[in-house]
This record gives sequence, structure tokens and C-alpha cells, in this order.
Amino acid sequence: MNTRTVIASDILHRPSGVADVTEKVSIRDLSFYYGDNRALKGISLPLYARKVSAFIGPSGCGKSTLLRVLNRIYDLYPRQRAEGEVLLDGEDILSSSQDVNLLRARIGMVFQKPTPFPMSIYENIAFGIRLYERLSRAEVDQRVESALRRAALWEEVKNKLGANGLSLSGGQQQRLCIARTVAVRPEVILLDEPCSALDPISTAKIEELIDELKADYTIVIVTHNMQQAARVSDFTAFMYLGELIEFDTTSKMFTTPSDRRTQDYITGRFG
Amino acid sequence: MTIASPVYAARRRRNLIAMGLSIAATLFGLGWLVLILGALLWEGFSGLSLRVFTEMTPPPGADGGLLNAIIGSLILTVLAVLIGTPIGILAGTYMAEYGRYDRLTTVVRFINDILLSAPSIVVGLFIYEVMVRPMGHFSGWAGAVALSVIVIPVVVRTTEDMLTLVPDQLREAAASVGMPRSVMITRIAYRAARAGMITGVLLAVARISGETAPLLFTALNNQFWSVNLNAPIASLPAVIFQFALSPYQDWQKLAWTGALVITFTVLLLSVVARALTAKGPSS
Repeated sequence: MNTRTVIASDILHRPSGVADVTEKVSIRDLSFYYGDNRALKGISLPLYARKVSAFIGPSGCGKSTLLRVLNRIYDLYPRQRAEGEVLLDGEDILSSSQDVNLLRARIGMVFQKPTPFPMSIYENIAFGIRLYERLSRAEVDQRVESALRRAALWEEVKNKLGANGLSLSGGQQQRLCIARTVAVRPEVILLDEPCSALDPISTAKIEELIDELKADYTIVIVTHNMQQAARVSDFTAFMYLGELIEFDTTSKMFTTPSDRRTQDYITGRFG
Repeated sequence: MTIASPVYAARRRRNLIAMGLSIAATLFGLGWLVLILGALLWEGFSGLSLRVFTEMTPPPGADGGLLNAIIGSLILTVLAVLIGTPIGILAGTYMAEYGRYDRLTTVVRFINDILLSAPSIVVGLFIYEVMVRPMGHFSGWAGAVALSVIVIPVVVRTTEDMLTLVPDQLREAAASVGMPRSVMITRIAYRAARAGMITGVLLAVARISGETAPLLFTALNNQFWSVNLNAPIASLPAVIFQFALSPYQDWQKLAWTGALVITFTVLLLSVVARALTAKGPSS
């Protein structure tokens, strides 16, 4: 995977005491607007390769919005625009010359509610693979299987790959969506509250999965669940009212945060 | 707490009155429907025989059937659907997918709603002006085009509605594996909305299969066997119209039978449409 070597300016944002990380995505002075409403206010943040970064904060703080900027999914809607820079391996993805479809093949996304496509389990995964690669039937089969294995779903569905993806349980559907995302071999995976619609057992499975996936991918997760952020992430960003309040290693954020508001939020005093 | 408080008793009384009125209104409405269907079955069923489907419309006093009218209706309906459905689906797709937030969509939706409820005789007159007069004669083509003008707004409306029901999350999910919009629409959104969209087309067929007014000025009618689309062509509604108004008893009988045939075809289509919708837009 091609990652950029760290340059001097990145050091500014780098949390203290962190070594051996490369910056996969650099968010610089990013503002976002829904019409005239400024939802993000000058956010600057690094996202490190092969690490899990969590965005936390009360509802409406802009954490999902920030996530939606990273693969430009907001482009689907009118009157939404971003200002500033988001560098993926040093290239600005916000520039108008960026092909959004190719970008989204590199930066995958999993949503709050499971969203299987209305087709078979097999096709749900094969469809994305075939979009950008010309492969033989056997190769696609192999890729589908390995994606399902990665998402810890293979054993449960291997005998019913032809069944409709919507026939699976909620937790299975969400793992199917993760498998679908992994199958197109993205570099970054964005998870937007991926467990909020799932029961504790499914949640535990997804969290295990995230832990395994970070060996290969840069992962960003938005979550309302503080324990989840503490469990799965290496870095945590706390956002409040469209601003980035604090960004640091998860262990430091949850033990000795430097901002009072972070402390209050994490200990449950507001939010 | 006492259940039989005066407040509760009054509420119960009002409930009884409202429920009584609702049931009475339902029975009143259904009663007429049952009477209509009953008369249709009573009058039409006795005339139903194989001959209806194998012989041409007869002159007064002779034996005959409705074959030319049934075939004419089939041809006109199929052609109208073939012309109207692609236009309707493309327009509905534009409105729901590409131009959902555009001003043009609002305008088109408004005009489409007017067209949806426009008296069908106006459509017939319009096609008479733009096709029949320039061509110099009535024709099957004019009839099919007139019917397609009725098909289009129905299909536009259902296509737009059904695509709008497809959750945005599914679109976002499709986009987030790098799927271009065109692929997302044809492979994901259409698939999710398929049942509803097919239902729309079936509803349009049901709607046009009984239309008489737009055919009177366009396809006219034909007493004889003809499948030539450049000439007047027979159709069930037009034959029913002509035969029912005639003073001949055997013609009137055939008109009843024709009405029965149409009604049951439409009923069958509605049942199919229902079955498709019941399966849900996403299965």
C-alpha cells in the first residue's frame, strides 16, 4: 500500500509520543456547508495508515458529516459543499478533477443501517468486484469467498450464496456490507455507527472484525458508544458543535484528556 | 379508577355513532358496485360462448362473436404500452434520480398530474388534430398513440413514486463501492423498485383497456377483420359503445358479453398487480 512519508507540517497535528505511523489521509482546514449552514468549522486532522481512528461527540457535532466528506458521498446531494483540503496519499480529493467513483472504490463505506443490495448474497459482493476488474468466474468466486471469510460470514452463508441478501439477520447483513466493502479492496474503510442497529453479540463480532481488518486498512469509525471507541480505536477525535476539540491516542483521550469538554463528555456529564 | 365515568361513556357513544356511519357509508358504496357487477354477470354470462372468441362481429340478426374487436384491443393496448412505457419510465427516472431537486421536476410533476386526470376525450380530440386530420383517415396508429398518451402519465407517476421509495441509504451504499450513477439506477434502484414499476404498467393497461373516448376519434371501429394499423381498427370498447346503443337485441347481448370480458381482464390484471405489490418493493 502506498503511503506518504511524514513531512514536517504533519508533526504539528501529530499526538505526542506516537511513533511508527504514516499519514494516509490529511484533513486540512476543512469546512462543510449544508446550504448556508456551516456544519464543520476548520477541521484539521491526520488519519494514520493501518490504524483505527474513532470520531466521537454528541449528536449533531459533525462527526458523520466529516466521515461523509472523506469519500465525497455528499456529492449526491445539492447545496452541500466542502472547503479546505483532504489529502489522500498527498492528493486533494476535494478537487474537481477527482473522479468520485474511483475515489469511492478506494475509500469504502459501511452505514448505520445494513444496506444489502436487492440481489443474492453472492451478487452483493461480486457486483462491486466486477465494476472495476475483469476477472474469470473462478477468480470472482475466490474473491467472494475470501471477502466473506474476512467478514466472518462465510461459515454461515456458504450453503446459501444464492439466497437474497435481505433474507439474512441484521447482524449478518451488516457483515455482508463489510464483506462487500472489503471485496473491492479499498485502502480506507469508513464506518458510520456500524453497530447502532445491532445486538451485543453481532456488535462484538463486528468489533473483532475491525481489529483484524486494521492490519491491512486505514479505518475510521463514527460511534456514539464510548466503550466501543475505547475498545476498537487507536486514535480518537472528539468533536463538538462542528469543531475538533481534541485529537489524541485513544488511551490518552480516555484517561487524561487535555480539554475540559472532552473530559465532561467522556465521563457522561453532557452529550 | 372507575371505567364507567361520564367522560368515557360519552367517548364510547361517539365512537359507536362514528363507526355506525362508517359502516353505512361502506355498505352504500359497495352496494352499487355489487349491483353493477351483478348486472354485468347476469346479462353478460348468458352470452358467453366459444363463438365470442372465434367469430367476427356480426351484422344485426346474424350470429357472431367479438374476435376482431378483441384482437384489435390487444394490438392497440400492446402498442400503446410499448410506446408509453419507455417514455414514462425514462421521465420518471429523471424526476426521481437525476433531477429530484430541480425546478423542472416540479413543473413536470405538476403537468403530469393534470394529464393524469385529463378527460380522455380531450386526448382523443388532440390526436385527431395532430394525426388523423393530417393523415386524412382514421387509423390503428392514431388509436395506439392516443392510448399511449394516457399510459405515459400513469407510468411516470408510479415510476417516480416507486423510485422515491428506494431508500437514499441504498443509493449511498451503491455509490460507496464506486458504482457510477447510471449503474446504480439500472442495477440497484430499478431492481429495488421493480414490483412497483411493473404494477404501474399493469395499472396503465387496466386503465386503457376500457377507454372508449380516445378511440372514437382515432381508431374509429371496424366491422370486419383487420389488423392493418393504417386503417380503422375494431376495439372492444368501441364495439360495446356501438352495439349497446343499437336497437338490436343480439347486438346488445354481445355488448354485455364484451363488457364482461373487459371487466374480467382488468380484474385479473389488478390481482396480478396486487400480488406483485404484496411481495414488497425490495424482494
